Order: sequence, then structure tokens, then C-alpha cells
Amino acid sequence: MPTTIITGRDITLTIDSDSYVAQATSATLTVDSTINTYQTLDGKAYYTTDTQGSLAVELLADWGAASSLCEALWTAATNAPQTGLGVVLVADTGASFAFDVQPILPSAGGTAPDAQTVSLAFTCVTTPVLTIS
Amino acid sequence: MSSSILEVRNELATALASVGASVYGSVPEAVIPPACVIVPDAPYLESRLIGGATVNLKINFIITAAVAYNSNPGALDNLEQLVIQILGVMPNGYVVGDVQRPAITSVGASTLLTADLSVSTYYNQD
Repeated sequence: MPTTIITGRDITLTIDSDSYVAQATSATLTVDSTINTYQTLDGKAYYTTDTQGSLAVELLADWGAASSLCEALWTAATNAPQTGLGVVLVADTGASFAFDVQPILPSAGGTAPDAQTVSLAFTCVTTPVLTIS
Repeated sequence: MSSSILEVRNELATALASVGASVYGSVPEAVIPPACVIVPDAPYLESRLIGGATVNLKINFIITAAVAYNSNPGALDNLEQLVIQILGVMPNGYVVGDVQRPAITSVGASTLLTADLSVSTYYNQD
């Protein structure tokens, strides 16, 4: 059986129903677990008390463009800062993660010679749900 | 958004048309100086964006500015003026890099003083 690899070319990402594929250079969902450790008479015992997801997205800035994703994020974060945005991250066909993130304001500007980029670190407000098909 | 990389090169060539030099969207058989020649850089095409349903590429070009090499000071001055003009008309959506050290190049019977300017842009398949 050949080794399976999936790459960034297999990823699709939508935030608030907007596709970020044409702008994003990176999208990573991370879920950290808080694990308590107890020393018992029988050795160590572990208990997971909490999980917290985060979504890191790197994208090429598109301020001023038609249907700008940066502007859409800015509008969402200023007009409805307490309303979660629905995210669907497909790592590869058949492995889809759905969750909500708290809106955040994208950065603007950059260094002189380079393309302007935006680094976004979203906090997940719902636990990511994996759908396998 | 462009339908082909040829269209991207032609759009860049059109933007350069006002600099008062011959503009070539690809390497010509003969160069009439002063001239701007758009040639692929290395790497030429880079996959930088997520997703594979459509082709999204970073395209790297070199714009070679060339002037007739008749005398050192005159040719260098002409080359510097041409480079400044090129920088002045670079269209939006291009990352403009460095201008490399001038070099003397022979093309056919012509001796040219040339300098390379690295530029890049992004292409999204329609």
C-alpha cells in the first residue's frame, strides 16, 4: 500500500461562508487539552478537564479588493464582536472540521518590498466537530 | 485575475510601454535598445496558497533593462534612467525586488549594458 500524504493543496477553508483558498497561505486548527495529573497509590492517573481550539490563518492581505476578506473580517469584528463566525476547515476530502470562532480584527500594513500579509489567531468558541465521510 | 500567464506577461508589458523603450513580453530574437525584456525568474512558478481546486501561483519575473553600450558613463546613466522609469510604472499587485549589478551583454551584433529587476505577482486560475 502506498504511503498517503496530504498537503496544503488539499485544504479548503471557509469563514462565515467566505472561501479563503485564493488568499490563504496557511491554515492550522489546533486543539489543546488541559490534562490534570494525579499521583495515586497505583501510579499516575490522568484526567482531561478542558479543551480549547484555535485556528491560525496566514493570508495575503486584500484590503480594497472587491469582496475583500480582510474587510469582511473587520466588518464582522466591529459590527458583531460577540457573534461567532462559522468555520469549515477541510483537511482533505472526507475529513471536515466545523466550528465557530470569535471574530477578530485583521492587521493592516507591512514591510516595503514584500506582499502585505495578515496573521490571524482565532479562538474557537465551539469544540471542532470532525465529520468523516 | 488573468486567464493565462501570457495575459499576465502582456499586462506587465503594457504597463511598461510608457517608459520609452522597446518592451518584450518574452525573450526576443533581436533586441532594439533601449529595451525592457520580461523573462522568467528562478523559481518561475511557486505554489504558495492552500487549496488545489483552482491553480493559484506566485509568478516570478525578471525585467531586464537594456541600453546600448557606447560609453561607460553614458550607458550607465541611460540604464539608471530606464530603471527609474520602470520602477515608476510598475503596476499595483507586484512585489518589486532589487535591481542587480549592471553587466555587459552581447546580443547578436549589439553590445548592451543590462540590469535585472526581480518582480513577482500572483496568478489565480479563472
